[in-house]
Amino acid sequence: MSWAAHDLEPYAFQRHLNLKVAFVPLLIGSYSPDMMTKWFVYGIHLGPWDLKASNPAQFHRGWPGFGFTHSLIYGLVIGLIIWKVFGSKLWGLSFVIGQFAHALTDTGDTVGTMLLFPWTFHFHLDAWAYAGQTGRMTDAAAYFSGLGSMWDAVWMVYGLYCWRVLTSDYFDHYIYRADRFWPWINRWIPRGALLTVYRAAFFYGTSRWIAWTIWAHVIHHYPYDLSWGGPHWVDAAHP
Amino acid sequence: MRLRQLRDRIPSRPDLRVFAGYCLAAAVYVAIGVAVTDFLLSFWVGVAYIAIAAWLVPALVRRLT
Repeated sequence: MSWAAHDLEPYAFQRHLNLKVAFVPLLIGSYSPDMMTKWFVYGIHLGPWDLKASNPAQFHRGWPGFGFTHSLIYGLVIGLIIWKVFGSKLWGLSFVIGQFAHALTDTGDTVGTMLLFPWTFHFHLDAWAYAGQTGRMTDAAAYFSGLGSMWDAVWMVYGLYCWRVLTSDYFDHYIYRADRFWPWINRWIPRGALLTVYRAAFFYGTSRWIAWTIWAHVIHHYPYDLSWGGPHWVDAAHP
Repeated sequence: MRLRQLRDRIPSRPDLRVFAGYCLAAAVYVAIGVAVTDFLLSFWVGVAYIAIAAWLVPALVRRLT
């Protein structure tokens, strides 16, 4: 799984698609596969109860489980529903692009995704270890010690290279114009606040990447292992 | 022509000022997050934080001055 790529990828797509996409559904699409499942993968305490999937990787990416949320058909179906229910082809298409990006990025780890669900084959490149089953903190330490975090860094650097996409001018000329959502919400929320909210996912992805890297390597001294499939000091899950 | 292309590629002074503000906000966010990792976990906490740090506080300061 990726910790920051899903925050950052939408800005790269936005940079190339300009008025052809709407940013809000693009971002929602990018987050959608994990929206309902992440909490149960890591587990939560609810009063006296500990709620956690017995097999987190299976629950998150497999079938039976919620792995279908990482398939291309899930993106297409939800995109189609958005198009028909809300009457916005732009929103539907933007959602699909964001969701596809998430599903494809997650093929980078050792569990991968069932891209062509209902075919339950997992497409996985094995570039970095999937360690969600070890709990949130070990997963963070492992992720930020392997190639997954380097992949996030690629998106971060690319986003900074495309810095114009984060400017006030770009927001006014492309983001605001492309999607009726922005003028609608601008009736209650000032434009300056909307610009900040537009930049928020990039800020969030970049800042937490830096924070987790410091936490893993400066505070806790977990070893980097940038070999393929690493870090090998953690037990990686497989399909 | 070349100068114009160069100007398009290099951030202007106001752009850099905004960027510096976000860097400052990021430094504080990272410091809090490293100390209290729960702070890093929620996207909505991140959105609320940046809305306060990069919009609300500067807007209040502008209004007061």
